[in-house]
Amino acid sequence: MDQFFHRMGDGSAVQMTAKQIMADLVEGSEDAADRGKIPPLAKEEYDYLLDIFCSPHKFISVEPGREVILTYDAATLKIRRVGVHVDRIQALQIYEKIMGADTMELAHVDYSYKPVKPIATFEQPILEQALLATHIPLFYGAQPNLGLYSQPDGPFPNPSELMPMGKIKEAQESYEAALEDLVKDIVFVGSLMYESGADGINLDTAGAAGDADFLATLIATEKLKAKYPDICIEIGMAGEFVLGMHSQLTYKGERLAGMYAHQQVKMAEAAGATIFGPVSNTNTSKSAAWNLARAITFMKACGEIANIPIHPNMGMGVGGVTVNDQPPVDVVSRSSAAMTTLCRLDGL
Amino acid sequence: MAITHAHASGMGGMRVAGDLVARVQMARGMKLAQAKAYVAEKLAVDVSELTDPIVMTEVRTDLGLGVVTPLPGVPKGIEAKFNIARVLDIDINCVKRFRERTRF
Amino acid sequence: MIDEKILKTAKQTIVEQKKDPAVELVQKALSDGIDGMELLTEGFIPGINEVGDQFGRGTLFLPELVQAADVMKAVTDLINASLPSQDGPQEKGKLVIATVKGDVHDIGKCIVVSLMQANGYTVFDLGRDVDTERIVEVAIKEDVQVIGTSALLTTTMVRQKELEEALKSAGIRDKVRTIVGGAPVTARWAAKIGADAFAEDAQDGIAKVRELLGA
Repeated sequence: MDQFFHRMGDGSAVQMTAKQIMADLVEGSEDAADRGKIPPLAKEEYDYLLDIFCSPHKFISVEPGREVILTYDAATLKIRRVGVHVDRIQALQIYEKIMGADTMELAHVDYSYKPVKPIATFEQPILEQALLATHIPLFYGAQPNLGLYSQPDGPFPNPSELMPMGKIKEAQESYEAALEDLVKDIVFVGSLMYESGADGINLDTAGAAGDADFLATLIATEKLKAKYPDICIEIGMAGEFVLGMHSQLTYKGERLAGMYAHQQVKMAEAAGATIFGPVSNTNTSKSAAWNLARAITFMKACGEIANIPIHPNMGMGVGGVTVNDQPPVDVVSRSSAAMTTLCRLDGL
Repeated sequence: MAITHAHASGMGGMRVAGDLVARVQMARGMKLAQAKAYVAEKLAVDVSELTDPIVMTEVRTDLGLGVVTPLPGVPKGIEAKFNIARVLDIDINCVKRFRERTRF
Repeated sequence: MIDEKILKTAKQTIVEQKKDPAVELVQKALSDGIDGMELLTEGFIPGINEVGDQFGRGTLFLPELVQAADVMKAVTDLINASLPSQDGPQEKGKLVIATVKGDVHDIGKCIVVSLMQANGYTVFDLGRDVDTERIVEVAIKEDVQVIGTSALLTTTMVRQKELEEALKSAGIRDKVRTIVGGAPVTARWAAKIGADAFAEDAQDGIAKVRELLGA
């Protein structure tokens, strides 16, 4: 039986037969369906995925006309992380003129709202200058990052220390107190950047510290939207389901813990977000086929129920992309094309 | 990785009309198909031409929407964004702020 | 053979975190002459496995996991106390867990610690941003069988490799098993640096520790 070049979730090369690839596609999709209580992929969708995984071509793309908006988050720090020492406005110009970005984001190297707060007025002139010199829509963005509000980084007792000691109530109270401060910081920074002229505010990797982190993001979105009705807010998630670190927090009467993408997007809508960025995590021990079918199953369910545009996250280790600093072109192009072809999405 | 996405499924930014479709989505909350149709109508092109760099470079040059290779006298940066706001009939936050600050 | 109904109830007391009914069940079972070890392995342990599985699927959350661990500890202590001295109580295994030097992410590690405790392992949680030397020092002092390290950044993963070297220098590499995890960490990385195992997530960590210790 013919063997096809394939990769695992960590990017390692393997050889697989078409039958093995198909079995992994079905298993990955059914895993997502089972977890999210959503439909698995249909036969023609499996067939399409099998076709692209068995294709001898290094690069796969969408059909003309099916292209989507490409949103870059944190690129002004990513370019410096790889040792290219350009300033941030130059970075934005490189991305808009050379990298094919449809939107960009100005971000501080300490990519969280809390550290930006005391230097926000130094960030504003850079944003204002960038807005004079660039053409494409420009977000200002950072992570909510609730973890920064607990000891030793912040004033509140550390729930990650309290919880394993069985101090559940104390941990929950700490989360509740911390999220109030986080909301204030997001609204403070978001307001200044919007008043400087940002085209949008990005709340990136929401829920990284669990349900309290996600709740703070939603409340901050609601407050910014009430303050500036025309503001564009993008909420990008940290993981495929909301970790129940507190577990009892609700928004609009719905328990946040355990929500998957198709449920999260309804919360983002209710808060007034303009764009939602759902996530599906890559399992490094499973094949690319398993991961991509699984990711598409989650994103498809989200896209079908969303009333606002969705931009699934397709960076390293999410959306079927392998966990590796340099994700291979073969697997990224297949993930990119398949996600865009099979899901009702509005951007990446 | 970014380049791979741009080539595999991205609209293409200001080489074409990617930034314009994104602007409409952000300003009006439109889903992708609706945003593409809106921009195509405003630019008087077919939806399929929104990702054609030959057509879009001409359109962008003619309308002063900003192009990758700027020629002398062609609108750039905020100048181009004034034109984008007018042509697409949308508010652009920094254009509004520019007017306020310059009392233009 | 223990009645299926009793085993099912035992499992449920863990999944639903019901401490008093769990304790009463053990006390009655022991007074009825039921084998405590069998009750533990066939009833309560499947319960804690179910808790771990549900946690990984987002249908059960950290506070519930911690409460389930508390119930599990109560029943394990009771059963251990009932065993003849030559049979127990026996320690299941001792682990040092830490987030590596330069890395301040501790949420994932907190989940791992909670789940390991729930499964009856003795955990020395060193916290975050922990020097490699400190990990080795505690491993020696507490005579642990497993060292688990977490790294959430590509820039801090290298500390896991440093630990492998430090264990060799300290002459204890063959006495402990190492397990690595964290967002950018993979089985490929584990193999490259010579770690004994890689954990995809907290629940996988339990499975790997069981394999490493045979317990």
